[in-house]
Amino acid sequence: MIDWLFSPLLDFGFMRRALVAGLALSLVAPPLGVFLTLRGMSLVGDAMAHAVLPGVAVGFLLAGFSLPAMSFGGLLAGLLVAGLAGSVSRLTGHREDSAIASFYLISLAAGVMLISMRGSSVDLTHVLFGSILAVNGTALWLIVSVSSLTLIVLAAIFRILVVECLDPLFLRGQGIRGSAVHGLFLGLMVLNLTAGFQTLGTLMAVGLMMLPATAARFWSKRLEGLMGLAIAIGMVSSVGGLLLSYHAGLPSGPCIILFAGVVYLLSALFGRYHSVFARWRRRVQPMLPPDAHG
Amino acid sequence: MAPLQTRSMAKPDTLLTLESLSLAQGNRMVLENIDGHFEAGTITALVGANGAGKSTLVQGIMGELRPVSGRVRCEVPNARRAWLPQQLALDLTFPMSVEELVMSGCWPTHGSFKRYGPPEYRRGQAVMQRLGLQAFEHRPLGELSGGQRQRALLGRTLMQEAQLLLLDEPFANVDAATVEVLIDVLRTMAAEGAAIIIVLHDHDQMTRLADRTLRLERGHGTWSTPSRAGDASSPAETLT
Repeated sequence: MIDWLFSPLLDFGFMRRALVAGLALSLVAPPLGVFLTLRGMSLVGDAMAHAVLPGVAVGFLLAGFSLPAMSFGGLLAGLLVAGLAGSVSRLTGHREDSAIASFYLISLAAGVMLISMRGSSVDLTHVLFGSILAVNGTALWLIVSVSSLTLIVLAAIFRILVVECLDPLFLRGQGIRGSAVHGLFLGLMVLNLTAGFQTLGTLMAVGLMMLPATAARFWSKRLEGLMGLAIAIGMVSSVGGLLLSYHAGLPSGPCIILFAGVVYLLSALFGRYHSVFARWRRRVQPMLPPDAHG
Repeated sequence: MAPLQTRSMAKPDTLLTLESLSLAQGNRMVLENIDGHFEAGTITALVGANGAGKSTLVQGIMGELRPVSGRVRCEVPNARRAWLPQQLALDLTFPMSVEELVMSGCWPTHGSFKRYGPPEYRRGQAVMQRLGLQAFEHRPLGELSGGQRQRALLGRTLMQEAQLLLLDEPFANVDAATVEVLIDVLRTMAAEGAAIIIVLHDHDQMTRLADRTLRLERGHGTWSTPSRAGDASSPAETLT
């Protein structure tokens, strides 16, 4: 039974590649998600995932189903939307989130239109929701390189990010612009979204970032704990989702994300902190008579 | 990366000078022709009604706002300038412990890569002890009282060995015991050669703490020396 369940991961080349890709992404996307949630930017990740689509589409139109071309296009589009949204909010005084929301909607519509102009609906489904069959050697190299780069950059800016999240003024007092850190962070996020879209799809890639991070918040109050747990949840979801996808013949992206979604729901119900169960248990305690223990 | 300068550097000289400084928020002129100098070892209270421009001046001093005219001359290197904003400005749900917050005062000297070694941790312990925070060392910030948080924040500036320290209403939302601890620590920091600027509302705290006051009113600044509680039987003027 166990053999039947797990053997596809080792027996087939495409599953092995998808597994390595999933684990590599799970190593870096969830920590980015942890920072996103801590910075109150959960939905920005979602918006950026939509924003990369027209770039991916242009890459697809120019070079067909080539991961480097599509990733590069996605990266450009994502950075462009982030940059535009930043400048619009600075120029008009509107909040950055509303500017990002506007640009990602435009971007998503443009992307879907571009793909439907040339490709079939199968192509569109692949781009939006991912396909493990498409992870070839080149794709794997790209994903692993992005993960390694992200890991290195994240380690390098880790202290700054932490200090900046808590108190941006402290950094500014040291002559470091928060916007530079913010921009670098957004860049890393877009890079990971474009790396993730091959297995997960553009719309699902952000799920591997956010769901492990939000689920981990029910279990830990410490940053290291949040990061470690989020990575573990991401990895378990990747493996579980891939197997589900293989055995049930479903697209890999939604399977992986739904797996992470189940972990999130269980955490929200039974987690150690702030979960439904934790709140219920806390509410019961004060109802004991004050002199119950003498 | 530069090694910390020693305390002997802090001679009683002027660390910060304002030269006919004018500051604006957007198109609105807030402060005009503010002059003054802040010496090592002095505590200056910055007072004035809401909207008088206290925060604007703090922003100007920290280089956040570009002067419309005039200038700010600061002799203190970036690494030893500290700005303690009002607690409300901070995200205190961030998963960080008291010790981690205090240790983040090493950032200006250690940057992103240099390891915090045993000497730094020993200094961190000493700072927490001085502020009465040993018992809360590993407590997340979100679970602290207002007073404990304020102590932890001041701990960060102690760790930084701040030579120019700006505090925005440090005694707001803080218990009486903490006020005493903070006043004591601030006095010691000044005695060791720091120039401290505090935005204050409470007259009593001002007379106890400040060597001088800079009162902002209708865009202009007036300097005065508050009567010390020990020197005079009653405060000479009432501040609101």
